[in-house]
Amino acid sequence: MISTLQKTIRHLKAVRVLHKPAVEVLKHPAPEDTVTASFGRFISEMKPQHLSPVVLQRSKRMVLDSIGVGLIGSTTDVFELALQHCQYMYAPDDISSVYGRRGTRLSPTLAAFVNGVATHSMDFDDTWHPATHPSGAVLPAVLALSDMMPAHNKPSGLDFLLAFNVGIEIQGRLMRFSNEAHNIPKRFHPPSVVGTMGSAAACARLLSLDASRCSHALAIAASLAGAPMANAATQSKPLHIGNASRLGLEAALLASRGLQASPLVLDAVAGVAGFNAFYEDYVPQPLESPSDGGHMFLLEEQDMGFKRFPAHLGMHWVADAAASVHKVLVGVDPGTVSPAQVQDILLRVPQSKYINRPFPESEHEARHSFQFNACSALLDGEVTMQSFTPAAMSRPDLLSLLRRVRVEHPHDNPANFNRMYGEVQVTLVGGDILKGRCDTFYGHWRNPLTNESLRKKFRNNAEVVLPSEKVEMLVDVVEELDGLGDCRVLLSQLQ
Amino acid sequence: MGNSGHFGNLEDLTSDSVFIYKSQVHLDVLSLEELVETEQCYASFGLTGLASPLQGITESFGAAIHALNTTQLTDGVINRSKRMMLDTLGVGLLGTRTAVFNKALTYSQLFTCEERSSVWGKSEMNLPPHYTAFVNGIAVHSMDFDDTWHPATHPSGAVLPALLALAETLPSRPSGLDLLLAFNVGIEVQGRLMRFSREAYNIPERFHPPSVVGVMGSAAASAKLLGLSPAQCSHALAIAASSAGAPLANAATQTKPLHIGNAARRGLEAAQLAQIGLEGNPAILDMHHGFGVYYKDYSPSAMAASGAFKWILEEQDVAFKRIPAHLGMHWVVDAALAARAKLQNTIGSFDLSQIRRVTLRVPPSKYVNCPLPVTEHQARHSFQFNACSALLDDKVSVASFSEAHISRPALRELLSKVKVETPPDNQPSFDKMYCEVEIETEQGHSHAARCDTFYGHWRKPLSQRHLVEKFSVNASSVLCTEGVEGVVEVIGNIERVTECSVLALYLRMTSNPQEELHCVNIQ
Repeated sequence: MISTLQKTIRHLKAVRVLHKPAVEVLKHPAPEDTVTASFGRFISEMKPQHLSPVVLQRSKRMVLDSIGVGLIGSTTDVFELALQHCQYMYAPDDISSVYGRRGTRLSPTLAAFVNGVATHSMDFDDTWHPATHPSGAVLPAVLALSDMMPAHNKPSGLDFLLAFNVGIEIQGRLMRFSNEAHNIPKRFHPPSVVGTMGSAAACARLLSLDASRCSHALAIAASLAGAPMANAATQSKPLHIGNASRLGLEAALLASRGLQASPLVLDAVAGVAGFNAFYEDYVPQPLESPSDGGHMFLLEEQDMGFKRFPAHLGMHWVADAAASVHKVLVGVDPGTVSPAQVQDILLRVPQSKYINRPFPESEHEARHSFQFNACSALLDGEVTMQSFTPAAMSRPDLLSLLRRVRVEHPHDNPANFNRMYGEVQVTLVGGDILKGRCDTFYGHWRNPLTNESLRKKFRNNAEVVLPSEKVEMLVDVVEELDGLGDCRVLLSQLQ
Repeated sequence: MGNSGHFGNLEDLTSDSVFIYKSQVHLDVLSLEELVETEQCYASFGLTGLASPLQGITESFGAAIHALNTTQLTDGVINRSKRMMLDTLGVGLLGTRTAVFNKALTYSQLFTCEERSSVWGKSEMNLPPHYTAFVNGIAVHSMDFDDTWHPATHPSGAVLPALLALAETLPSRPSGLDLLLAFNVGIEVQGRLMRFSREAYNIPERFHPPSVVGVMGSAAASAKLLGLSPAQCSHALAIAASSAGAPLANAATQTKPLHIGNAARRGLEAAQLAQIGLEGNPAILDMHHGFGVYYKDYSPSAMAASGAFKWILEEQDVAFKRIPAHLGMHWVVDAALAARAKLQNTIGSFDLSQIRRVTLRVPPSKYVNCPLPVTEHQARHSFQFNACSALLDDKVSVASFSEAHISRPALRELLSKVKVETPPDNQPSFDKMYCEVEIETEQGHSHAARCDTFYGHWRKPLSQRHLVEKFSVNASSVLCTEGVEGVVEVIGNIERVTECSVLALYLRMTSNPQEELHCVNIQ
C-alpha cells in the first residue's frame, strides 16, 4: 500500500516531468497519452461490472479446462523435474498450492511456475486466435497470488475472474499490434511473449495497483519475455508457460514495491525497441478506459479453441481428416487398419517447420508432428493421450505407415489457425484413393466443444489425480465462480 | 554447411538419412528456400549432405565448455580476467547501496532455502543462490559502472555473481583456479555468440545485449563449475536461450540492472535444470529460430576446445569505466574536459555565463540522446548531461548523478544551450566512434576538442594502479579496510587460492553494520 507521503512524492515527480522547460521541441507525446499509459489505466480501472455474460461464460470454461489439463499435467516427467528443482533450490513454503499434490506448497512465483509447466506439459491447453495459449500463463499466477493474499482479504470469485480476464484481454490486445502474430509463429513462442505480459496484467489487477504501477508491471515483464521457437517440441517448451506465469507475477510484485521501467515500452520508439523487439511489424493502439463504457472484451468476439487430445493445435485437423479415412477403411475391411493395405499417404498441410516431423523421437516431437498424428489416427481411428506413450510410439505398424508419408504445402493452405485445413489422401495398394479433409475440427472456435464435452475432458483429466468428490466440487465451483464470496473454496480443491 | 544451400549427392547420404530423403524425393518442385530450410532442418539433427555428419554448433559448444581446462588459461587471459573480476566486485559493492538493489533485495527475501549464499556488502545476509546471483548482479549494473566489451555487452556482471553464489554451495569446494576457468568460459561463450552476427557490432537498438548473451555466458560458466557432461552443457545453453532477450527500452530505467541480475540468475538456473536432466533443443545455436531469433542476421560457427583454441579475451580486451554511466559518455566527458581546459587557458577563468552554445558531435544512438534527463538512470544515458556536468564541475564522478546534482539550475541552464549533431562519419560502434565538444562563447569564439579513445577504453587501458584505486574507492564505501585489502589480495592471487569461497568472507566485512540499514541515496 502506498503511504500518503510516497504518494505526494510520486505526484511531484509527475508534475516535474510535465512542466519541464522545453527549449528543444520534444516530439514525445505527453506521458498520459502513450499507449503504455493507456494499458496501465485500463488494467487499474477494470471492474467486475465490465464483464459481460458471454465473457463470464467463456472464461469459466477456460478456467475449468486449464485446471483439468494442469492436473493431468502434474503426472508428467517434466512437471516432476520442475517441482524437484523448486523444492531442492528453495525451502518448503506454506503458501501456494501445487496442482494435484496433496500437501505440497511452494512460494507463489514457484507455484505459478510448476503449475504453468503442468498446464502446458502435454500441449493439451487452450489455443486462441491470434495464436497463443492464454490461460496457462495467467491462471497459475492468479491462483498463486490468491493463496498469497491475507486470509481476511481473499479475492471473491468475481475478483478472481476479473483478474483472469484482464490477463487474457491484454494478451489479445498485444497480439493485434502485429500482422506477424496472426500466423503460426516462426521466431518467438507467443506464450513467452504475450503470456508474460498477460500474467503481469492479471496480477497487477488482483493486487489493485494504481495505473502507473500497472504500466510499470507491464514494462518490467517485457524484459522477461521472449523465448525462441526452437525450444518448442522439446521438453523445455512447457517451461515457456511456466515462466510466463511466474515472471509476470514477479513483475507485478516488483512493480508493487515501486520498481520502475520504461514508460514507453508498448509504444513504438524508433531506434529503441520496447515490446516491439519481438515483432517484425508493430503498430500499437491505445486501450480506451473501461469506465467510458462500450469496451468489448476480445473473448466476446473471438472464442477459444480447446483441444481434444494433447498435441499441437495443427494436429487436430489432420487427425480428424485421417480418422474419417480410417472409418471408411475399417468399413471396407472390418477389423484394424493394416499398413499392408496402404501404398502411400499424402498430407496437405500448411507450411510450418516445427510441426513437420517425419520421424519424431520423443513424445514432445510427436505432439508436434503432422505425420505422426495423421498415422496414429489412421491406425486407431483417433488420437488420445495414450497415443504418445513410448509403447504406442514404437509400434511397428505405426512406423510402417510413417515411412509412407509425403507432405505437400498447397498455396491455399496458410499457416494460420483461422484459415488452414488438413487433408489426408491415402492410396491403397489396389489403386483406390481415399481422401479425408477437415476444415474445422471439433473443439475449434468455429465448432466449439459443448459444455458436456468440455466437462468430460475435465473429468478424464482430473480423475487421474483427484478423488471424484473433489473433481465434482471443482466443476460446480468453477460454474458458480462469479457468485463465490471467497475464492478459497476454489483454491482448496486443487490438490 | 550452414547457409550454403548445397544439398549434396544422394549417394553421399548415410543410411540413416536415406529414409528421410526418400520420403522427400517425391515432393513436387521444392523452392530454394524449402531446400535450404530442409537442409537446415536436417542439420539440426546432425545430418548433412556430406558423408560423415559434422558436429553441430551447439554440440561443439557443449563439448568445449566441458573440455576446456586450466592448462589452456594463458597469462594474458588470466591477467585480464582478474582485472575484470576485481572491477566487478568493486562496482558491485558500491551498487549494494542503491535503491534498485534494495527493492530487489526486499523482493528476494520472500524466498528461503537450505543452501544459502552471501549477499555482497552485507555482514549477515544470505539468500537462496539464485536470488543471491540476482541481487548481486543487479548491484553490479545498478550504476552502469561495470565493464564493457566489443562487440558491446557487459560480460562480467552476468557471470561472476552466478559463479560466486554457486561456489558457496558446492560440496566440492571449488578452488580459485576452478573459479577463474569457469569465469573465462562464461566470458568466452558470450564473445563467441556475439560474433555470430553483424548486428552485434553496433550499439544496440532492439535487445539489450547482456540479456541476450549474458544469460548464455552464465549458463556456460555455471555448467563448467558444476562439471556437467557435454550434452548437459548443450542443454544448459538451450534452456538459457528461452530466458534471453529483454528490449532496449528498459535501458535508461531502473529496470536495466535487472537485465544483468536476471542473466546471472537464469543462466545458473538453466545449468541446474540441465543437471537434473531437463532438455531443450540440442541445436539451439544452429538454428535461426533458435538463438538466431535475437538477431536480424545470424551466421553461427562451431567452437573448438583444443588444438588451435584461442581465447577471445586475449585478442580483445574490455573497457573499464571511470564514470558510472553508459560507455558512450566517456568520450563526451573527455572531450568536454579538454574543451573546457582550452577555454580556460584562453580567457583565464571558466565562466558559465560566457557560454552561448555547446555543440556535441556524437554517433547516432537514440537511447543515449536525452536532452533533459530527470532520473539518475536517464542521466547516465545522456550525452548532453554528461557533457554539461563535465563543463560545470570539471569532472564527472559518482556524485554527479545524485538528484541534487541533476536538478541544479546552473546545469539545467547549460543543458538548454546544448545542440547535438550526428556526423555521418561517426559510427555507432564502441570501436569506431568519437565525440567532439565545441563551446561557443558570447564573443563568438569557439573552443573545440575531440576524443577518439578515452582513458579506460580497450585501446588505452586503465593502469593496474588506477584499476585497483577505482576498486578501493568503491569497495571502501561499504567494506572495512581489511575487507577491501582482502579482496584485492585474493583476486590478485586467485589462481593459487585453494577455496574460492573465501572471497565471500571478505565481501561481508562491512565497515559499519549500522550503515547497512540506510542506502546512500544516490537518487
